[in-house]
Amino acid sequence: MATQWTRRQFLATLAAAGLSVRMSALMAAPGAEAITRPIPSSGEPLPVIGMGTWRTFNVGGDQHLVSERTQVLKTFFEWGGTLVDSSPMYGSADDVMGEALDALNAHERVFGANKIWTRDGGATREQDRASRRKWGIDRFDLQQVHNLLAWEPHLETLKQMKADGDIRYLGITTSHGRRHRDFARIMEQEPLDFVQLTYNVLDREAEQRLLPLARERGIAVIANRPFQGGSLFRRYQSEPLPGWAAEAGCGNWAEFFLKFIVSHPAVTCAIPATTKVKHMEENMGAQYGNLPDEQQRRQMADYVAGL
Amino acid sequence: MTDVFWFSYSLSDFLMFGPEVFLRLFVRINQDFWPWQGGAVAMMVLVAGLLVRGDKPAKRAVLLLLAAAWIWSGAGFLMEYYGPINIPATWFGWAFILQAALLTVAALVWPWDGSPEKPARQWHAGTAWLAMTALLSLLAVAQSGNWQAIALFGIAPDVTIAASVPCLLLLPRRVRWLFLLLPLLWSVFSAATLWTLGTRLMFVLPLFTLVLTVMSFWFSPRPVQNRD
Ligand SMILES: NC(=O)c1ccc[n+]([C@@H]2O[C@H](COP(=O)([O-])OP(=O)(O)OC[C@H]3O[C@@H](n4cnc5c(N)ncnc54)[C@H](OP(=O)(O)O)[C@@H]3O)[C@@H](O)[C@H]2O)c1
Repeated sequence: MATQWTRRQFLATLAAAGLSVRMSALMAAPGAEAITRPIPSSGEPLPVIGMGTWRTFNVGGDQHLVSERTQVLKTFFEWGGTLVDSSPMYGSADDVMGEALDALNAHERVFGANKIWTRDGGATREQDRASRRKWGIDRFDLQQVHNLLAWEPHLETLKQMKADGDIRYLGITTSHGRRHRDFARIMEQEPLDFVQLTYNVLDREAEQRLLPLARERGIAVIANRPFQGGSLFRRYQSEPLPGWAAEAGCGNWAEFFLKFIVSHPAVTCAIPATTKVKHMEENMGAQYGNLPDEQQRRQMADYVAGL
Repeated sequence: MTDVFWFSYSLSDFLMFGPEVFLRLFVRINQDFWPWQGGAVAMMVLVAGLLVRGDKPAKRAVLLLLAAAWIWSGAGFLMEYYGPINIPATWFGWAFILQAALLTVAALVWPWDGSPEKPARQWHAGTAWLAMTALLSLLAVAQSGNWQAIALFGIAPDVTIAASVPCLLLLPRRVRWLFLLLPLLWSVFSAATLWTLGTRLMFVLPLFTLVLTVMSFWFSPRPVQNRD
């Protein structure tokens, strides 16, 4: 069941974070109540749209682009987003995120999700520390083993770090449908709070095993590559939305793609990435209004497959 | 991990940045370097002039200027600007510096004992080189639609390498191959990157360098024929 966040709570949180709210944007959001889902292991509500940083936030020392990306992050927060996903694998993305958080003074606002990505199974804490330093935060809310790289030693350390209070949640990630068998085995055996995997209207393999398993085991699911790295827009944006899209709560293609994902009962949030404020606004629109029901979801998948 | 696992990757899975960020590297280095672009242009004209002169000290000076161009584009563009968004660029930066060291050694110790080229041929070589280098530096401008993105010899690595390969013909084939390895590697790396980025006009540059490099492994300039 989706938990609803009231507008009053939302505005109060924003005000506490010192962020201005674009009222017009909020008013435009139907119902203006952000949709959240509880993290199964704690019950903590999480807004259903997070954001990714792969490629989009790797801008190096380009101050012009750093300030553009800061505006993207600001828009994300203004629309009630919290979870930001990054990795040491994403070049300068962690540094740029740190600069943006500084500029917005939003260290308290962000739900920081990062990854451990090193073959060196003994370097878990060191890499966590390095990423924290870049973000300018005391701890990550979520640390994930990136693409199962040296997952056994990293996961052991992450369990210890969680017990010590150095992170709040732990998890593992995969993408592009890779290594789902290993992934399922780890989900069955390990005490995971989160898994991150690829799920979108075209890449639906996770529906077979991983999503039901996540529900069964009480594991939160982050859906990466919600737009298939942008190719969903390249393929379908020129096509018309179906007439019934509005009934399913979708006013544009971004909402169509994202609401398909987050309306799956096992999915906790989706993490689209963008370089543009306008696209961020479109994406965050998916956090408001009604979600498609089971029958509408089937209709959505069939419509896209038939285009 | 199985072979099938690796087949599930495509080139774009390894590309960590978009075309906007890449094209802005040229704009940024030009903005930061301003107004010293004049120095890079002067260096280009000087190399062309030395190719026209073509005597032993001129050949030495060409290789020394190439070494300077490799150092600057390696330590500047690759390590300072490109490296933070693409780790392999930093490794290439070090390789560029190594190549510059090699060029310096060659410039200082190579004896060049053959007979000089015909003046007309040298004139053609120098002017063709200048025209080629100037034209190649405009590809980034054409791609981005921004004059500030001009990719000058001695600043931008692709143009520096493309312009260096013909100059390496000054060295005989038996040692030249050593200097062509890095251009070969870089061109493959750069071509793959630019293709994946979708910057098709700029993709022409490493492709062109690749062809030049492969030809240079075998090519020997014809010796001047004596009439008697
Ligand atoms: N193994 C792993 O752990 C793993 C693997 C893959 C991804 N991830 C995470 O998942 C995140 C999302 O995946 P992704 O970045 O690969 O791809 P994605 O979010 O599916 O797609 C991003 C692309 O969509 C475009 N886009 C976004 N919003 C748009 C809109 N409203 N209209 C039109 N185009 C739009 C963006 O272009 P513009 O910039 O022009 O908006 C960008 O090119 C990553 O950033 C990363 O954090 C994790």
